[in-house]
Amino acid sequence: MTFPSTSARAIRPVRAIAAALLAGALLSGCTTFSDDGRNQYERAQGEEPGATADATESEKPEPPYDVRPLLQPDKEYLGVAADGAPKKMDAVKDFAERAGKKPNLIEFYSAWGDRYETSLVQNAWDYGGLSFIAWEPFDVDLKDIASGKEDEYIRTYARSVKELNLPVAISFAHEMNGFWYPWGTKKATAAQFTAAYKHIHDLFDDEGATQVIWVWSPNVVNPMPKVKLKPYYPGDEYVDWVGIIGYYATDGPSTWDALYGPSVTQIRSFTKKPFIIAETAAQAGERKPADIKDLFQGTAKRKDFIGFVWFNFDKETDWRINSGPLSEKTFREQAKDARFGFDVTKP
Amino acid sequence: MTEQQYTYEGYPQPHDPWQYQEEHQLYAGEPQQGQAVRGEVTESGSWRFDGQISAYTDQQTYETYAPYDPYATYTAPAPAPQPVPAPVAPEPVPQTPGYVLPPVAESAWEMDTRRSRLLGRLALLCILLIQAGLSLRLRGTAFQDEALYIASGHYELANLLHGDKLPVDFAAYFSGHPKLYPVVAAVVDSQFGLTGVRLLSLLFMLGATALLYSLTRRLFNPRAGLGAAALFSVLQSTIVLGNFATYDAAAIFLLALAAWAVVRTDRMNDLAVLLAAPPAALAFGVKYASGIYLPTLVLLAVITAHRHRGLRALVRGVVLGAGIAALLGAGYVLSGPLGGISSTTTDRAKGTDTAATMLSHSAEWGGLVFLAALGGSVAYALRARMGEMPWLGAETSGRWRRAALGLVLTGTALLAPAYQIHLHTEISLYKHVGFGLLFAAPMAGLGMARLVGPHFRHPQLGILLYVLTLVFGMVQAQRAYSFPDSTQMTAYLRTVVDKKGTYLAEEQEVPAYYLRDETDWTQWQNSYVMDYRGKDGKQYTGPDAFRQAVRDGKFDAIVMHGDVSPGTYAAVKEGLKNNSHYRLAAVFPYTTSSGEHAYRIWVKR
Repeated sequence: MTFPSTSARAIRPVRAIAAALLAGALLSGCTTFSDDGRNQYERAQGEEPGATADATESEKPEPPYDVRPLLQPDKEYLGVAADGAPKKMDAVKDFAERAGKKPNLIEFYSAWGDRYETSLVQNAWDYGGLSFIAWEPFDVDLKDIASGKEDEYIRTYARSVKELNLPVAISFAHEMNGFWYPWGTKKATAAQFTAAYKHIHDLFDDEGATQVIWVWSPNVVNPMPKVKLKPYYPGDEYVDWVGIIGYYATDGPSTWDALYGPSVTQIRSFTKKPFIIAETAAQAGERKPADIKDLFQGTAKRKDFIGFVWFNFDKETDWRINSGPLSEKTFREQAKDARFGFDVTKP
Repeated sequence: MTEQQYTYEGYPQPHDPWQYQEEHQLYAGEPQQGQAVRGEVTESGSWRFDGQISAYTDQQTYETYAPYDPYATYTAPAPAPQPVPAPVAPEPVPQTPGYVLPPVAESAWEMDTRRSRLLGRLALLCILLIQAGLSLRLRGTAFQDEALYIASGHYELANLLHGDKLPVDFAAYFSGHPKLYPVVAAVVDSQFGLTGVRLLSLLFMLGATALLYSLTRRLFNPRAGLGAAALFSVLQSTIVLGNFATYDAAAIFLLALAAWAVVRTDRMNDLAVLLAAPPAALAFGVKYASGIYLPTLVLLAVITAHRHRGLRALVRGVVLGAGIAALLGAGYVLSGPLGGISSTTTDRAKGTDTAATMLSHSAEWGGLVFLAALGGSVAYALRARMGEMPWLGAETSGRWRRAALGLVLTGTALLAPAYQIHLHTEISLYKHVGFGLLFAAPMAGLGMARLVGPHFRHPQLGILLYVLTLVFGMVQAQRAYSFPDSTQMTAYLRTVVDKKGTYLAEEQEVPAYYLRDETDWTQWQNSYVMDYRGKDGKQYTGPDAFRQAVRDGKFDAIVMHGDVSPGTYAAVKEGLKNNSHYRLAAVFPYTTSSGEHAYRIWVKR
């Protein structure tokens, strides 16, 4: 029996096929295993391209806090800014005891460059209070914020807000229509203020820090009637609350309407956002009990006002509710009003 | 062997040292009862074997002596008493080679049908296990299409069972009949959820691989069958579709079943080929794009029968074609208008993808297997066999038939890319490539067998081809199987939606599917098409409609990521400018192979 000489004929096609296959593999390998391809693969595996495996952090399963019920609650906020709070809640507790009602909005101040004080916000929340941070851009130019020079800080701040996942009201550069702060009318223009404000807001959105209640907080127009507010307004999409600031001073307007009326009228011409009195108090004096009563009743009367924050400090003058026994008594009586105060954790 | 044989009467004695050897002889197929024991009586009167008792005659043997057994019934005349001579040294055994190849079997292992069937099936089982592992390795929440088909299936099922009105006419835009796969998927979904539906797809794909093995085995040989199954099982499309709740897997299975039936009935009566008609017609119904492969089935019916009945094979083709056409006609009459056929398949809107991209992508996805098929076709056309059994004859007739078979099967792999290049759209091409490769796989399997060569001469080449295909398939599948993780998005939306709201969502099918207990299909506005009459009384279409609707606050929630509808996303963002209706409620970042993205959810304030 003879075997046909298969070797030469059989091997040649084999070589040809093998060569063709290898060439094909190399060609397609160029794209599939290119740097770009590898990045795509790693991303599809849920990894950061080029990152080590343990560098990826696990996602937080908890959904972001829905702040909407806090934006326009049926009842009024009873807020307070008190010494040392919310790091130490003694002053707040003292205020609550004197007022006969627990405040549910705790305001404190944060300078530009401070990190987001998660422990303070958590403290306030544990007490039953929503944090209200007045974010004060000392030592920084509004232009720089708008141009992106401060982005890293803002993003870090926003990420902390997102990570903590508790609601927080933030008012950036309050009293911008006044001349006394470094971000006031003497140092910055309205356009610079709105640009910085919007930029911060956009970065927060970009980071997904949706837990923020954005407060646009002008001073009442009475001291500087020539400064129009509209140019300072960033727009409805950027604002949740209009946090008007106005104090009952002995030499100033003595009624709610006189104190807030002109500002409210002006602001209502360009937005329908709810008002909150972001800072108020009454100067110690004979008029103080009347002022307190006026504040409560004026605020409760207007549907579009959702409360106020009492500046309970003895600074410049004694703004505290306990500056006199009659004031304290009046505050306690007024605060009994069921319309004031509610549980922010279960709005 | 013509040696003097003595009859050994009786059975082996107890402690018979030769028992083993005798049994060994038995095993070796020597005479059984009353064995003939070769040997002679030595001069000393003892029994001497001749040393050539083994069946392995070529092996070294040793001189052996048996003790004298007085009870042995040897009846030869006693030799005359003689002085006992001194023992004689054993004669030297002629020198034999140390090792000689055992006799060559009559045929290759695969011709031994029982053994080859068992081995083939074991190998196939391994292939299927690997395929299942590769598919199950992929994970993710429902993809847009999966959500669409399963959700629509629930509505279609309610329509079938209770006559509920369909929320939309799914038949108008589906690329398969909405009352076939979606209904099955919905039934499985209500029992086992999305995972169950995906497992169903895995079963379909495993079935397709097994059928592919069987039909290739019948067309060629088990080795080619294993090659075809191995290569097909690790393709990107196979891996992805095996964990993908769309009708692609079902269609591939039905096509494989039809092809198998065509090949299986090659020697039967002409009418037997009609067995392939129902799965073929059903494949078309399940996914209209399968229709492009029906001509391949008809041609295959002719070519496979040509060997046995020459020109009469054409009858088989006609019978199959007529059978499929009749079934499709009946189906069309029963099902009513199907706008989806033209809008998704025959008259699809032309895209803007270039031929070059699509060709290079197709080559990436299936080029290797296609080349193997091409090689297999050429090799098959040149020679019908590899020449492992030279006595069967090197040359066989039917070169044209062989060439035609290769051409039809391998050429089918080009249909989908060619058609989509014609349409300028790459949508789903990564899946459709797999349909054509199902048909090219037998030739690729044959190519692989030829590459390995006769008597497994180059197993490394076959392994190389398989491993390359596997690596490409794995990597590409991981990339293709990458879509937004919607877990957090749907969890959040669940807290937002109700029975009345209107929601704009990019890939709205996904939340509509996951939240179907809370919402109705029609509450979800897609991000592709919209006609809207604004509050200003004007009629808007396209991106303008989305922009205006957002400005007017038409939606109660908006979910966008801009990955699928960048145009709409831009319009929505514009609509959100100076818009006090909405507030950004949540941002859920996710990563896909195309990069980092995020779901952004806006809700009414």
